[in-house]
Amino acid sequence: MILLESHNVIVHDVLTDRFEKPSRADIQFVDYDNVRFHLSTPDSKTVLLLSMGIQCWPDLVKYGARDHLEKTFEGLLLSQGETEPEYDVSLRIDLEQIPQDPESRNALIDKIAHFKSTAMSAPFISAFEEQASLQANYKDAAGAQQMDVQPQEAKGDLKVVKYREEEAIFIQASHDRVTIIFSTVFKDETDRVYGRVFLQEFVDARKLGSLQNAPQVRYSNREPPLEIRHLPGLKNGEDWGYVTFVLFPRHFANPAQALATINRIQLFRDYLHYHIKCSKAYMHSRMRYRVAEFLKILNRAKPEVAVPQEKKTASGRTFRRQ
Amino acid sequence: MSRQAPLVIDNGTGYTKMGFAGNSEPSFVFPTVIATHQSASSTSSSTGGSGSARAPPPVASKPGHLASKRGIEDLDFFIGDEAVANSKTYSLHYPIRHGQIENWDHMERFWEQCIFKYLRAEPEDHYVLLTEPPLNPPENRENTAEIMFESFNVQGLYIAVQAVLALAASWTSSKVSERTLTGVVIDSGDGVTHTIPVAEGYVIGSSIKAIPIAGRDITYFVQQLLRDRGESGAIPPEDQLKVAEKIKEDYTYVCQDIVKEFKKYDSDPYKYFARFSGEHSVTGRKYDLDIGYERFLAPEIFFNPEIYSSDFLTPLPEVVDNVIQTSPIDVRRGLYKNIVLSGGSTMFKDFGRRLQRDVKAIVDGRIAGSEVKSGGHMKSSGLEVNVISHKRQRYAVWYGGSLMASTPEFYNVSHSRVDYEEYGPSLVRRFSVFGSAT
Repeated sequence: MILLESHNVIVHDVLTDRFEKPSRADIQFVDYDNVRFHLSTPDSKTVLLLSMGIQCWPDLVKYGARDHLEKTFEGLLLSQGETEPEYDVSLRIDLEQIPQDPESRNALIDKIAHFKSTAMSAPFISAFEEQASLQANYKDAAGAQQMDVQPQEAKGDLKVVKYREEEAIFIQASHDRVTIIFSTVFKDETDRVYGRVFLQEFVDARKLGSLQNAPQVRYSNREPPLEIRHLPGLKNGEDWGYVTFVLFPRHFANPAQALATINRIQLFRDYLHYHIKCSKAYMHSRMRYRVAEFLKILNRAKPEVAVPQEKKTASGRTFRRQ
Repeated sequence: MSRQAPLVIDNGTGYTKMGFAGNSEPSFVFPTVIATHQSASSTSSSTGGSGSARAPPPVASKPGHLASKRGIEDLDFFIGDEAVANSKTYSLHYPIRHGQIENWDHMERFWEQCIFKYLRAEPEDHYVLLTEPPLNPPENRENTAEIMFESFNVQGLYIAVQAVLALAASWTSSKVSERTLTGVVIDSGDGVTHTIPVAEGYVIGSSIKAIPIAGRDITYFVQQLLRDRGESGAIPPEDQLKVAEKIKEDYTYVCQDIVKEFKKYDSDPYKYFARFSGEHSVTGRKYDLDIGYERFLAPEIFFNPEIYSSDFLTPLPEVVDNVIQTSPIDVRRGLYKNIVLSGGSTMFKDFGRRLQRDVKAIVDGRIAGSEVKSGGHMKSSGLEVNVISHKRQRYAVWYGGSLMASTPEFYNVSHSRVDYEEYGPSLVRRFSVFGSAT
């Protein structure tokens, strides 16, 4: 597994099971980035309630997450007043009203399993839209001025999503690109080293011919990049890393592509940390192999102990020589 | 910051059960198996732990960009059901043998996907509760702690003994009045049945007994009975084991008197024989068969093993009694009072009742015997024998873990990351029992 999956496996499994035969449920579980889920059947077996608590919900609402969810989960999303206490959004799934044919059922399950990623995608979508409008305006303005003055770069608002305790995603749309900056913290010194090597790989990998179309990636340690340097409260210690992605319009040209891009990029931080852990596991298996090899060599150096041999008489009886 | 629910992972020889603390059932139950691309022969040495004949992990072969240096073979693997589904193109490995982790490379990668693919949790934010079999060597705990803290950077770790968790799970039963961690755990899974005495949270290692009769044997026995009665002709050969398993799970029960039960069946077979209808998995042909005596004979092999096996002949109640009799004398009363069932093969209807009756009979017989021997001078005040069965028996160990990890005390007794950095892996050699009311 190289990429992390964008849907939640527990939601998927439980819904697949419950759609077949409704039964009681009361499950609490989590997803990446401090997301809590609660799946329950509060009233009857046939009505499932799926609630989600996201740490950065206030940020997401600012960028239209609620509207976006309402559009995607039409008829399922509960209004703010009905939302389960201690959670941010709730879906109500009535098992008596779900489609019967397996294909649309699977589509519905898949959609609900993407609940979290749908919520998280709102700021990205609004940034993509902003970029489109900026681009249109920019062309007009440039045409009017007939290129005689240096055109001022048109920039959208900087969107900040504080998706974890100390870490945040910064999204900024410009007329020709969307810049996404992740700030991440490495709790362990070893992790920092792995992280740096791993991110350097991204830069190197882009030099390969087949990956020329990939978004540009930059990595800076300690110092925040220029785009966000003016923001107050940014940390710049040894443990901090900033990863910048530059998405060009071709990366979100059509809705399907945009969705794929969003689903991948929002899990980037977890992807990075997953791979750091995998690399460590790989290193550990190399170490174990090496130790086993060295032990073999050491064992070879053991002097052989002469075992007093048992002697047998002609009749097959044994005796020990004194 | 509100703490996130701890992860509870119970890695057994056959199945891994995992989920989040506070739930009543594990979110995932799948075989503890990993499918890798390496050839099967590379792990043929299973005894040495870090095997000597194992192929080395892939290494850098040519200089240049780091990206071109090595492939991603170490990420190309599946676990659980997906591994079984891909067994044609990958080779399967079972990292746990007899309850203990044998192959740490595979286990580390197994956990990798458990956490990141299935539980979807960032281990840096969570505490983790793992389980270990009784008599797990401390080196294994250390290795486990090293992987958890150094590879996964978990916040905290607690390694609990499976039998103790099974005891904790029994607290949900209405029969249990006090939360005690003293008792005998009868843990019967697919491969082997263990009887484990636990005194105040500590396993009495010298008295553990293993019984080579468990779920798989019952399935074979059902199959054999069907064949003997000539019913198996109707079942397609490739489905026989599956049908036997289904019969075992759905139709069997433990009877109180085997002779009476036979008479009952013979006098009115229409009332007691059940019908099973199946469908051929390939052709879709329907078939029916009668299920008769196997309904009560199948679990009977625990109580009369001679009907199935010729080399293991001690009935389960006798084993339980032996185990308690070899334990220290001051805990025996507590052990008799709290005999707890755990694992899928203890789920038969009335299993607990029968066991309680048989153990009680042995104990009462002995007490009566010693009263007679004393010449009527001594009088026993009697001994309480209690077998506890409860609803969560099937995943009792996991459920116990979930219960323990959702208490606030859990955070105090777990080994935290800070402690690990201070003391190193030897930290986990010491562990504290918690949760009991006393």
